[in-house]
Amino acid sequence: MELLLSIIIFLPFFTALLFGVFRASTYTLRLGAIFSSTVVFGLVIYITLTFDPLGGMQFIRNVDWIKNYGISYYLGVDAISLVLLLLVTLLMPILYLYMWHENRKGYWYNMMFLQSGVTGALLSLDVILFYLFWEMMLLPIFIMIGRYGNGARQYNVTKLLLMTVLGSMSMLFSILYLGYMHFEMTDSWSYALGDLASISLESHVEALVALGFLLAFIIKIPLVGFHTWMAPAYGSSPTPTVVILSAIMAKLGVYGIWRFGYELFSHTLTQYASYIITLTLIGLIYYAIRAITENDLRRMFAFASGSHLSLITLGMLLTNIYAWSGSLYFIATHALASAGIFLMIGLLYKRVKTVQISSLGGIASQAPIFTFFFLFFALSIAGLPGTGGFVAELLIIIGAFKTNIWIGLFTATTMIAAMLYVFWMLQRVIFGPKSPYIEECRDLTKREIIMLLPIVVLLLLTGIAPSLFMPLFEPQLSSMLESIVPISIPLSLPSISGGL
Amino acid sequence: MLEQLYLVLPMSIIIIAAFVLMLLSHHKSFDLNKLNLVAVLFLVISLAIVIKQFREIESSYLFLDIIGEIFIVDTFALLFDLMFITGTILTLLINTDYFHSRHYFNGEYFALLLFSLFGMILLAHSHELVTSFIALEIASLSIYALVGYHKNNRISSEAMMKYLILGAITSVFFILGTALIYGAVGSTTLSDIATYTNENINNKEDLVLVITGATFIMITILFKIGAVPFHAWVVDVYQGAPFPVTMFMASTFKIAIFAIALRLYLVDFVSLHGLWTTILQTITILTLLGGSWLAITQTSIKRMLAGSSIVHSGYMLIAVTSIGLGSQLAAPAVMFYLIAYFLSSVGAFGILSYISAGGKKQLTYEDFKGFSERRPYLSIMMSIFMLSLAGFPSTIGFLGKFYIFTAAVESGQFLIAGLGILMAFISVYYYFKLIAMMYFYPKNEKQKPLRYTFSSLLIILMAVLIILGGIGTSLIPYAPSADGLIDMAQVAIESLKPIVQ
Repeated sequence: MELLLSIIIFLPFFTALLFGVFRASTYTLRLGAIFSSTVVFGLVIYITLTFDPLGGMQFIRNVDWIKNYGISYYLGVDAISLVLLLLVTLLMPILYLYMWHENRKGYWYNMMFLQSGVTGALLSLDVILFYLFWEMMLLPIFIMIGRYGNGARQYNVTKLLLMTVLGSMSMLFSILYLGYMHFEMTDSWSYALGDLASISLESHVEALVALGFLLAFIIKIPLVGFHTWMAPAYGSSPTPTVVILSAIMAKLGVYGIWRFGYELFSHTLTQYASYIITLTLIGLIYYAIRAITENDLRRMFAFASGSHLSLITLGMLLTNIYAWSGSLYFIATHALASAGIFLMIGLLYKRVKTVQISSLGGIASQAPIFTFFFLFFALSIAGLPGTGGFVAELLIIIGAFKTNIWIGLFTATTMIAAMLYVFWMLQRVIFGPKSPYIEECRDLTKREIIMLLPIVVLLLLTGIAPSLFMPLFEPQLSSMLESIVPISIPLSLPSISGGL
Repeated sequence: MLEQLYLVLPMSIIIIAAFVLMLLSHHKSFDLNKLNLVAVLFLVISLAIVIKQFREIESSYLFLDIIGEIFIVDTFALLFDLMFITGTILTLLINTDYFHSRHYFNGEYFALLLFSLFGMILLAHSHELVTSFIALEIASLSIYALVGYHKNNRISSEAMMKYLILGAITSVFFILGTALIYGAVGSTTLSDIATYTNENINNKEDLVLVITGATFIMITILFKIGAVPFHAWVVDVYQGAPFPVTMFMASTFKIAIFAIALRLYLVDFVSLHGLWTTILQTITILTLLGGSWLAITQTSIKRMLAGSSIVHSGYMLIAVTSIGLGSQLAAPAVMFYLIAYFLSSVGAFGILSYISAGGKKQLTYEDFKGFSERRPYLSIMMSIFMLSLAGFPSTIGFLGKFYIFTAAVESGQFLIAGLGILMAFISVYYYFKLIAMMYFYPKNEKQKPLRYTFSSLLIILMAVLIILGGIGTSLIPYAPSADGLIDMAQVAIESLKPIVQ
């Protein structure tokens, strides 16, 4: 039982290692990858079923790793990480289905390593262990984009690498400082999250330390100003990587703020929240405008996803239960929707070898099933009522209005903007006159439909019956909120906000 | 007496081996392979004894009643012996293919290598300044000869001359410093110097000569580890020397310098640290910046590694400065970093020499294009070495940097720790460039495939050790894990303490 989380983390890793040592054929690799990821998903389902929403950290495993420095192998899962864990482990088998005919072995190995890195980062409660996984998941991404990507992939991936490593290095510095302060105050080494949270620093020092952590997370999300790696990297990525970048990695940045930001320096975070909120608001609108102007589908949805991630970050910074549960809910639904749309773009690219909007058009008459799925995912990105994204966005917008009327107004524009770029894109890509490029466009195969169906079902389910999922994490969010000083944004219109 | 003979056994075996090899090398029936085997055989015996001693010995002077406190056998020195001998064995074994691919290697090579090793072991054990000097010169002179081993090659000869002249000049500083210290203290054994400085700590005028002398000695040490501004030789010498020699210098010889530097700094001048803090900090900053600059601008892998070895010296200097500022963690951190750097650089240079045995003289980034398709396993190993050098987590290199930066934070040098982390960030660029070359570019058809040999097995062993050192826990018994290594380093440093008092 206490090994459960370790198995979840390391099963894909060791599968890949074993198959690598014995030079397995692509066929066995595929079987191994699908098998390991399905087993892991099964285990996560088991955890979800036995999970106690009020229980805080569960399935804890804590053993010494490097005794002299108090670094431990400390794992645990709570509601927030469980939501993300469910997502990751659900998406991996789907991605493997997508990669079914892939015969470049590096793809399979890197995906399995990646899964281990991502789940490890999600579950670790020791800061050094977290740092280890956080860096570990970068490497497969680096190799996959650089090796199997397109366009100026070497340049773009180096940009991604350097920017994210810069973030991680600043985080490392903060970690070292925190660890040493813990040693100085208690005379014992520990890098466990709970222990580090117990030390109190002077407020300006704490702000600097928090900045170190935040830089890593903000670059990973990325918020506006730290986003220059995003569009090039998304544009050059092969499909599985781009799904992981937008559906998983970016969410980990948000998760990082939640886990480390609020546990280690909730005071600083709420104190300086207005600056980050400003960033997210600028990001919301800036990314939406960029998305409208882009001609490359991958880059367009990269910016769209940047816009929505800004919204998620915003929701997380507004400390009320609507915004918080909306934000966490949006993490899940947006991950599903963006995974769906990037998979569709990938399928499109496989068929017609281009994702330039200007060279597409009239797919609807050529491939109706494809069109249905493409429309569905694009619309759920835009927040179509009936899909999960709508519920989540609505909650965040309510939360924003609760905090401050202006923030609420800005936040609401994201739905309009999303409608704008999605519908305009649909009009050019799906409808309109038939482009010569899509003559060869076949419709979806059975395997592809099977791969996409779970995402569709889940998106509908989250949209129609949120009450099925909310109880999983709402109790924990409420109890976390009680210990956090709510932010206050002074700039408001008294007459209107008084009425709300 | 028997006990003493037992203690002196490892180094005697090595000097005997050196002479034996020298004699054997003129015998027709001994080709390079056999000589190599003989050398390794002697070294393995010596290594076994060192390991045995490492578990038993606390600290004891060699032949105290005959020669006084000239040589000491303690855990500290034995840990260094362990690294030196392992490094030499690996240098000999990994480069087997390289010896065959170059016509200029002959029997003396092995003898010279062992003489150098003997010098380094003496250096680690020496407890007296003149002996240290002689030991350092024994080690250095053999290295000078080895650097210029390819006689007909202009680059090799140039490197030798450059190293020889500069090295000789800086050695003068060592002997001058020793003389000055002797003038003040009246003795050159380290314990006498330590006693003298401790007694006169409040009387700065009596210490003027000691301080000047120690500063002179520091110049020699900084030159040998390639700290900026004494770095001018590093890149050219590393490039000019044959691969096995470069590997030996970068991994093993550099560590030897730290053996004497740490002993002097921790034992002798422990009470004078404050005086050098500013100088050392300046040199650290210069070394980090200069080394990074050198490493970024290179196209040849060998030169890049040379540049980056300067940066690694810079990291270790951070910890040395921290020792001076009273950090308790810094001394074990340096030891750990030495082990980490040793493993990674042996691996990296090992792969380079292994590939270059296939025919290439110069290895540039370009030559690694498509390497992952030709040799998938070997490129994974190379990636591991690069990751470890860059300090990526899950390798031993990360823990090394982690300990060093923690020490810097402990001693309050936040800016220097920040700079170090920034340099680690920059190093990601030039190390990952190689990984990018290996994985991101298609195969270059012209190159012929490499054979799997014994060397590649050893390279894999190094990679496994690096990973074990990075993530291994106490859960795996008897393996040198992250936990065990730092314990070892601490024990070694502890063994110096009784003399410090």
